[in-house]
Amino acid sequence: MSKRLGMVIDQERCIGCEACSVACRLENRTAEFWIQVETIGGGNKDIPEGTYPNLKMDFSPRLCNHCSNPPCLNSCPVDDALIKRGDGLVILNQESCTGCQECINACPYDVIRFNQRDNIAEKCNLCAHRIDRGFNPFCVICCEGQALYFGDLNDPNSNVSKLISERKVFQLKPEEGTNPSIYYCPPRPKRRL
Amino acid sequence: MTENNGIKLIRTACPQHCGIDCCGILAHVKGDHVVKLEPADFPDERDRRICLRGLSSLEITYHPNRIKYPMKRVGERGEGKFERISWNEAYDIIISNFKDIAKKYGWRSIGWVLGGPGAGTTKFGAYLRLASLTQSTRVSAWGYGDAGLPCGSRIIFGHHFPYIHLFGEFWQRKWPELLIVWGSNPAETMPLQTMRKILDAKESGTQVVVIDPRFTVTASKADDYLGLKPSTDGALALGLMNVIFQKKIYNREFILEHTNGPYLVRIDSGKLLRGKDIGEKKENAFIIWHEASNSYKILRRSNAMQASLIGTYNVNGIECKPVFQLLMDLASKYPLEKTAEITGVDVDLIIKLAEKISTTRNVKFYTHMGFTRTYYGDISLRGLISVASITGHVTTSFSSGYLPAVLNWDPFLKVIPNKLSFHRLGILNLYDAVISGKPYPIKAIWFSFINFLNQCVHTNKVIEEFFPKLDFIIQTELFLTPSARYADLILPVCSFLEFSDFLPHPYPYVQLQQKAISPLYESKSDVTIVAELAEKLGFGDYFKGGEERLIDLIIDHPSLEGINRETLKKGAIKLKELPEGVNFPLSFRTPSGKIELYAEQLVENGQALPVYLPPVEAPITHGEKKYPLAFIQGHSRFRTHSTFANVQTLLDLNPEPVVEINPIDAEKRNISDNDLVTVFNDRARTTLKARVTESVGPSVINITEGWWIEQFKEGSVNHLTHNVINPVQEKVYEPNMHMNDVAVEIKKYEGVQK
Repeated sequence: MSKRLGMVIDQERCIGCEACSVACRLENRTAEFWIQVETIGGGNKDIPEGTYPNLKMDFSPRLCNHCSNPPCLNSCPVDDALIKRGDGLVILNQESCTGCQECINACPYDVIRFNQRDNIAEKCNLCAHRIDRGFNPFCVICCEGQALYFGDLNDPNSNVSKLISERKVFQLKPEEGTNPSIYYCPPRPKRRL
Repeated sequence: MTENNGIKLIRTACPQHCGIDCCGILAHVKGDHVVKLEPADFPDERDRRICLRGLSSLEITYHPNRIKYPMKRVGERGEGKFERISWNEAYDIIISNFKDIAKKYGWRSIGWVLGGPGAGTTKFGAYLRLASLTQSTRVSAWGYGDAGLPCGSRIIFGHHFPYIHLFGEFWQRKWPELLIVWGSNPAETMPLQTMRKILDAKESGTQVVVIDPRFTVTASKADDYLGLKPSTDGALALGLMNVIFQKKIYNREFILEHTNGPYLVRIDSGKLLRGKDIGEKKENAFIIWHEASNSYKILRRSNAMQASLIGTYNVNGIECKPVFQLLMDLASKYPLEKTAEITGVDVDLIIKLAEKISTTRNVKFYTHMGFTRTYYGDISLRGLISVASITGHVTTSFSSGYLPAVLNWDPFLKVIPNKLSFHRLGILNLYDAVISGKPYPIKAIWFSFINFLNQCVHTNKVIEEFFPKLDFIIQTELFLTPSARYADLILPVCSFLEFSDFLPHPYPYVQLQQKAISPLYESKSDVTIVAELAEKLGFGDYFKGGEERLIDLIIDHPSLEGINRETLKKGAIKLKELPEGVNFPLSFRTPSGKIELYAEQLVENGQALPVYLPPVEAPITHGEKKYPLAFIQGHSRFRTHSTFANVQTLLDLNPEPVVEINPIDAEKRNISDNDLVTVFNDRARTTLKARVTESVGPSVINITEGWWIEQFKEGSVNHLTHNVINPVQEKVYEPNMHMNDVAVEIKKYEGVQK
């Protein structure tokens, strides 16, 4: 069976630090942040929901979902600007991108960025350049809370497959039928005093 | 190590002032240029780490605004006008000023104000050595927010830090059933050494409770959260103790064995009853009430466990009570409703937490400097430790782990063996020394790794009264910080990639901060600067061999046997492991050798017990009209104090200071999210954007510390803070700055809203 590379993001361990965003920008020398941490709470960064002191706040890093059925791919008018590799990665080739922004409109997850400096689209390629040399994506090794796991979703013995079978997991917007390769483990229930 | 594309890999470590996180870093060097940083390997894979600041620190090294050469002031102080000079000229200016001042006032009038060396050691040691040699003044920076915790810990444990007794074997990954994080936000301030382990613990079943005035990131990860009003931690501790006493769920055996709870106290004087008071030959012996014989006894190892903890006793005509009874009497003044009213914590949560602490077998407490930056923060810490002590949750011995790194500080502190040869002043005492010449005048200050004006209390006092009294100000810096603008001479220093140092962190490792590239521009390391200056002062021999020699000196200690610069170049080295099966006792260096629930030396101050005293300034009761809001300063993950405030990647994520205000307070003042607002008190005002949020409770506002003065529309956090000295802290150790004990009011900015 072919590979399906992807990630599991454990929200229980995400502390919203944004080291992933910084790591990605440095590794990929990007203008925009390809991975961004959303606060699940009161609407703004680091703002909880509820009334003091009964509050709740969680974090959810958002990046390209490397969908099994990527809507961006069909929207792109250029031949090789967006491709899906055999190992499941959806790659945006910046050299071929014309900056038409069709992919940005097509993506249901709002994770493709427009780089105004170079007039092209940008997104997470899951550090394909590192993966191809046997390394983990840079955000994974820089994650402060060790909340990010990378591996082959088709290999039942991989760390990601084990997490998916052991923990309750979900994908974003399943109704879109995209079948993302990024899975999330929700935070565990609180054990109140 | 070399990668195939001509890139050298150098194993170094980030020494920033997060201190013990101290991430190992692999610098990718091409030519003499660092092209990339990544987290370096650790012997234990789980310890491989880096944070968003460490990752972006190349932006400090290659920042366009770095100070590139020595500069002397040509405009007014604070104006920021400087002129390039040579290093030789700089040293000449320093020597001539130092000599003039030393002639007029003595060498002790020259002060070395060394702020946060982070995990660095020899860069700090070099200055201490020169201060020793010249018998000038070393200004201790503990009082720059970090003296309150040692004050409390010294009183109750007899140790500078309480951590080992409160976290126990947490660092060895032995997880407790319950972890109480009290007044600290490690998710942002110590994410790797502490927060990552808290997440590991939680995953293994530890229940985590956070007590904090702010709903921090750490609080969001906790199982339960107690939001309390700032400066009321001591009242919460007494309220918890009262529940524990009422329900009789304290740990009697632990109290008898490890605390001075059974010691009899004279009701007339408050002093501990001694042998001499009752005609016993053992004049200084402590006296207990022996339960079985219903008579007093001299405390002995053999009878300690039979002492009475409760009651009033007449010993040869002297009325006495055991310490424990006095603590119960004090706690009884904090019934649930009163505690809830003072602290803002629900009655139900106070009861549940008290019961949980008492009835859980293994409980650990994590705290740091937060609430000890209030006027009575040292007593609050004693309150927290008293809760841990009466429930038996203070660690008194180790059965596993690694022996701590001990450094050989003697060559730096003592030029004459066994004698401190420099003068010592606390940083808060420095205000008086400079402004009023008490206890003696300081006329010249050398600032290193400190952004004094930005980070120390009462900015206008520093600008208007402090700086003008100084004849000469030197600053070693990477940037023209708000404080550096007031220097007469600025010396460019290296970023951490440009020099070597020994880093005794993170536990259980030690690391080498290994020079990866040559110093940029005309910058020099602090050690080099000190060595060159020392040479001109006639002390050159003490600094021969530079950083390397000082590293060799500081690691010359049996705890670091077998560790040297060569072995350290390969990576982090683990400290010596305790032999298996050995129980390593942790002593208490108090007068009694016990945990002192009662501190006899503070009887005359009315603080022998961990009493709750209302804050010196923070308004926590209703009806305080003029400045009704308590102002606190949380710490941000985007900065280490004021370092990283000028790093663009971090500014892209967190562009400007905001004041967090509860919707109730915002509505009363017609303030909306993102409005420009002015925060003010009698000392000053600061203007910035409002963030209306529930993360702070009503009557509390928060601005994270570390933003540079010029990043505010006007003022800054420390324009609002005060320099009031707590005399007990001064007596016990060193007075602390109380940045979290401040009253303010807030209003919509009266100028044009952006």
